[in-house]
Amino acid sequence: MTKNYNFNTKAIRVLIYIFLGILLLVTILPIWLLLVNATRSTSEIQQGVGFLPSTHIVENYEILTGRGLDLVRGFLNSLFIAVSVTVLTVYFAFLASYGIVVYNFRGKKLFAGFVVVLVLIPLQLSIIGFFQYMSRLGLTDNYAALILPSIASAFAVFFGIQYFQSVVIQDLIDAGRVDGASEIGIFHRIMMPLAMPGAVTLGIFAFIASWNNFFNPFILLSSIEKYTLPMLVQTLRGDVYRTEYGAIYLGLAITIVPVILIYIFLSRYIINGIAMGSVKE
Amino acid sequence: MGVLKFKRDHYGYLFIAPFVIAFLIFGLYPVYNTFYLSFTDTTLMSSEATWVGLQNFERLFADDVFTTAVLNTWKIWILNFIPQIGIALLLSIWFTNTRLKLRGVGAWRALYFLPNLLMPAAIAALFFSLFSFYGPVNQFMVRSGFLPEAKHYLQDPTITRGLVVFIQWWMWFGQTVIIIMAGMTAISISLYESAMVDGANAWQMFTRITLPLLKPILIFIFITSLVGGMQMFDIPYLLTDGRGSPGGSIMTNNILMYLKFSSTRGHIGAAATVGVVVFIMTTIVALGIYFVLRDRNK
Repeated sequence: MTKNYNFNTKAIRVLIYIFLGILLLVTILPIWLLLVNATRSTSEIQQGVGFLPSTHIVENYEILTGRGLDLVRGFLNSLFIAVSVTVLTVYFAFLASYGIVVYNFRGKKLFAGFVVVLVLIPLQLSIIGFFQYMSRLGLTDNYAALILPSIASAFAVFFGIQYFQSVVIQDLIDAGRVDGASEIGIFHRIMMPLAMPGAVTLGIFAFIASWNNFFNPFILLSSIEKYTLPMLVQTLRGDVYRTEYGAIYLGLAITIVPVILIYIFLSRYIINGIAMGSVKE
Repeated sequence: MGVLKFKRDHYGYLFIAPFVIAFLIFGLYPVYNTFYLSFTDTTLMSSEATWVGLQNFERLFADDVFTTAVLNTWKIWILNFIPQIGIALLLSIWFTNTRLKLRGVGAWRALYFLPNLLMPAAIAALFFSLFSFYGPVNQFMVRSGFLPEAKHYLQDPTITRGLVVFIQWWMWFGQTVIIIMAGMTAISISLYESAMVDGANAWQMFTRITLPLLKPILIFIFITSLVGGMQMFDIPYLLTDGRGSPGGSIMTNNILMYLKFSSTRGHIGAAATVGVVVFIMTTIVALGIYFVLRDRNK
C-alpha cells in the first residue's frame, strides 16, 4: 500500500517536471532565439534555425546604426524619462502613503478607498483628452508630459500604504519629535532610509513600466530626435531594414537586455514586490 | 496636548497634497476633457470646435468597425485569461504542495515570469519576425515536414488572433502564478490539517478552503487583467500593419481610438468618444465585479 502510494507520487512528480520543462521551453525559446539571432549574420539566419550564438554581433551593430537609426539617442531618451519617472513616482507615492499611514486626518479612509478605485479604473483611456490639453499648453513633444503625471501614480500609493503599514515604527517617529525634528524631516531622515527596500521594489516597477511604455510617447512625441526605444522598434520593422534580420534582432535585443540584467540581479525584489502589491492582509 | 495632536494630524493633508494636485491636473482634468471632447467635433487642425451632442456616439455605435473592435478585444482577453488563470492555479497548487516537494520552485517561477518584464513593442516585433514568411517558424515547420510549404501566418485571421492571444498569455501567466502563490501561502496550514482529520480529499480541500480564501486575490487578478486587456494596444498594433489586419482580426478598442486620432483630419472628438465608451464599459464591469463579489464575502 505504502509502496504503491510512493510510486504514484514519484510518477506524478516526473510527469509534472516534464510539463514544467515544456512550459519553460515555450517561455524561454522566443527570447533565446532573439538573443542568439542578434549575434548571427543575416545569411546564417536565412539558412536555418540555430540555437547557438554566432560571431556577427559587431557586423549587425554596424548595419543597425549605419542607416540613420540613432539607437544610442533613443536609449538615452528612454533612460532619462525612466529615471525621472522612477524618482518622482517613488518619492511622491511614499510621501502620500506615509501621510495616510501616520496621521489621523479627516477623510483619510475616504482618500485611501479612492486610491483603490483609481487603481481599478482604466484612466489610460483619457489619453485623447490628455493630449489635447497638453497641446493647448504647448507641452506635446515635451518630456514633461510623460514625466510629471507620475507624481500621481495611484498604484504606487496603493503599494506604499501597504508597505508603510508594515514598516512604520511609531517609537522612532516619537523619538524624532522629542529630538525636535520637523514632521517632514522625520519622513526624510528617519522613515525614507528605513523604507529603502520598498523604494527599490517600487522603483524597479516604475522604471520598467516607463522603459517599456509605447502608447503614451507614441501619442505625445513627434520629433524623431525625442523618440524613445519602443518607438524606434517600430522603425526597425520598416523598409530600411527589410531583409537585415541580424540587425533587426540585435536592435530588439538592445531594448530588452537592460531589463533582463535588472531582473537577474533584482529578481527577488521584483517577485516579492508583485506578491506585496496584490496580497492585502 | 489635544490641540497639539489635532494640529499634527493636519500634516497628513500636506503629505498627500502633491499627489492630489498632480492627480487633479494630470488625472482628473484629462478625464473630464476626454468626456467633453466626445461631445464635440474637435479636430487636430482646427482651433474651433462645435458642440455636436451625441452625434459622435450615434456614429460610433452605427459603425461596424467599432463592434468588431469591442468584440475582438473581449475575445482576445477572455481566450488569454482562461488558460492564464487555469495554468497559474495548477502551477500554484503544485508549487505549494508539501507532498510533491518539487525542486527549484523559485527558479521555475522566476523564469516563467520573465516575459512579463520585456518591452511589448519588442515582443510584437519579435513574433512578427519569428512568424514572417522567411522566419524561423516556417523554416522549422517545412524542414521537419509538418507543413508541405511555407505559410503566410500573419495573413490568416485565425492564426494572427491566436498569436495575439498566445503572446498575451505568455506574458502574463507567470505573474498570475506569483500572485496566486502569495495568496495560497497566506492561508493557514491548520485549516488543511483539520480538514484532513475530518477526512477531506485534495479536491474537497481545494474547492472548500483554497478557492474561497483566494477569492479576493482572484478578483484582484480578474479586474487588473480586464482593465489592462480592454486597453490592449502594443502587441496587436505592432504585430501587423497597425490597422488590425488581417481582416480586422486583431483590431482592438485602442487601435480604433488611435486610428481615429491619427486619421488625416485628426478627428479627436471621435477618438475621445471611443475612449469614453470603453472607459464606461470597463469601469462598470470592473467596479461591478469588485463590489458585488466583495460584499457577498462579508
